[in-house]
Amino acid sequence: MENAATQNSSRNDNEIIILGIESTAHTFGVGIVSSSKPFILADIRKRYTPEKGGILPREVAQYFSTVASDAIHEAFRVSGFSPKDLSAVAVALGPGMGPALRVGATVARALSSHLKIPLIAVNHAIAHIEIARFLTGLKDPIVLYVSGGNTTVTAYNHGTYRVFGETLDIALGNLQDTFAREVGLAPPYIRNGRHVIDHCADNGSFLEDLPYVVKGQDVSFSGLLTAAVRKYEKSPNLLPDICYTLREIAYSSVVEVTERGLAHLGKKQVIVTGGVAASDFLNEKVEIMAKSHDASFIRIPKKYAGDNGVMIALTGLLMYRHGIGFIEPSKAFIKQRWRLDKVPVPWYPDTLG
Amino acid sequence: MVSRHPWLAEGILEYIRRYELLSRGAESELYLGSFLGQRAVFKLRRRKKYMDPMLDRKIRRTRTFKEARIILQAYKGGVATPRLFGFYPSLYLLVLEYIPGKRMKDVIEESSDLELITLLSRNAGYQLGQVHSSGIVHGDTTTSNFILYRDQLYVIDFGLSDSSKNVEDRAVDLHLFRRSIESTHAKYSDIMYSSFLEGYRENMGSIAEEIIEKAEEIRLRGRYIEERRTVWRDI
Repeated sequence: MENAATQNSSRNDNEIIILGIESTAHTFGVGIVSSSKPFILADIRKRYTPEKGGILPREVAQYFSTVASDAIHEAFRVSGFSPKDLSAVAVALGPGMGPALRVGATVARALSSHLKIPLIAVNHAIAHIEIARFLTGLKDPIVLYVSGGNTTVTAYNHGTYRVFGETLDIALGNLQDTFAREVGLAPPYIRNGRHVIDHCADNGSFLEDLPYVVKGQDVSFSGLLTAAVRKYEKSPNLLPDICYTLREIAYSSVVEVTERGLAHLGKKQVIVTGGVAASDFLNEKVEIMAKSHDASFIRIPKKYAGDNGVMIALTGLLMYRHGIGFIEPSKAFIKQRWRLDKVPVPWYPDTLG
Repeated sequence: MVSRHPWLAEGILEYIRRYELLSRGAESELYLGSFLGQRAVFKLRRRKKYMDPMLDRKIRRTRTFKEARIILQAYKGGVATPRLFGFYPSLYLLVLEYIPGKRMKDVIEESSDLELITLLSRNAGYQLGQVHSSGIVHGDTTTSNFILYRDQLYVIDFGLSDSSKNVEDRAVDLHLFRRSIESTHAKYSDIMYSSFLEGYRENMGSIAEEIIEKAEEIRLRGRYIEERRTVWRDI
């Protein structure tokens, strides 16, 4: 980062520089990405961590509005660029939590209007896929996208990413967090870089009677969650076994759906992205699966698994190059339910670099 | 159950693996061999090394048992499907009639003949109707699981199937087919789905409508479907 700060006092003519803002869930992220090396110029994150219970959208929004200004300033300082160097501002308008999204959207609209530069509307899910394709160099993969709010298996076909399989109810991250909370393991949800479920599962072994649900290409976790909580209420001493089995079933089922996608769509590359992609346990499973089908798999760096502004800036840059996604600040409404298969990706399979 | 030397099971598998490998899917290997003098497909559920062995065995056992039972039920119900010759649950092995056809998925990918694509989709809908009329839901209705041989479309792979006449379960089959063509044959997905429904209606008659409506409802349950909440306008 320091290199970037000394080298780039101003940009050259062909260089595109995009500032990206992420605020769909717990992280307010600001990233600055350039079309020339070293590409990533700034990556500032402000993460909201609740003291008890889960994440309340209103509280997140309040937190975001107090840190937004600092985050933007820090990003410019770290990158060595000034606002007048920007080609455009990109912002994640969805999918995500309304109050949180509104903070990012407001900041982005203001920047775009004030600097008189274009505003680009980025889909958060697409951004997770694009950062993974960029960092792994696997350009035509089947994608497993797993986070607190998403569980989707997707791959490109005919103009957009298509959903091959998804959860029919709650997301994988949500399953883990809710279970941990119900049985008193959390918050905090992460200890020493691992989820509390992982710690709890360390000394566990497999229990026969929790349900494994794969329906065609879809998974379902609500039955598993209920069964696991009931099991705990009946026999609290089995908690490590319940953690182990819950994790084993949930992760195996998403890997199985990914495997089905790989076989059915005939892809030869696999990537995993989203917050849960930081899990070693999940990555090991996917790696074994990919190997058995002679497909390539590369882990994305842990740091870029979770939400960040860089992925929004990167996707904004790809869109900027293709002249799509431009939106009037006055019309930049958030889209809480914006599906990834509604977004054209004309740059595919290219990426930055 | 009769106990048996472990080497016998291994020996049988070793023998089968010498047959010609027809295809390797997500969960099983298909070998072409012979069974009592007839050409036959040996469907072997592979071990999934990424799973805990206990979970892996539990899943393979359940699916092998279920598939055998459902194939018999489907055959009785008049579904065009390969016949079951043999069933060896301890080996996670099924022996099936060999249909030397081509996957519907490949036929569509290699063809740009819209008439053929429409006809195949209608046929797939008709065959799924027959599956449902037999009291079965398929559970994995992708275009990889229909085989075209001569002028007949065969339904294969009942590994995720179940006995059910429930409207919701049946609707899931329609929903899965639709999503699968959207991810695999995006260019033709609209025409394919409408022809598919046409064939389905032909077979199921008036009860089809309720199931089709339910499938639409299931689709809207997916994550972030915009049509779902019409009362809210995002700002």
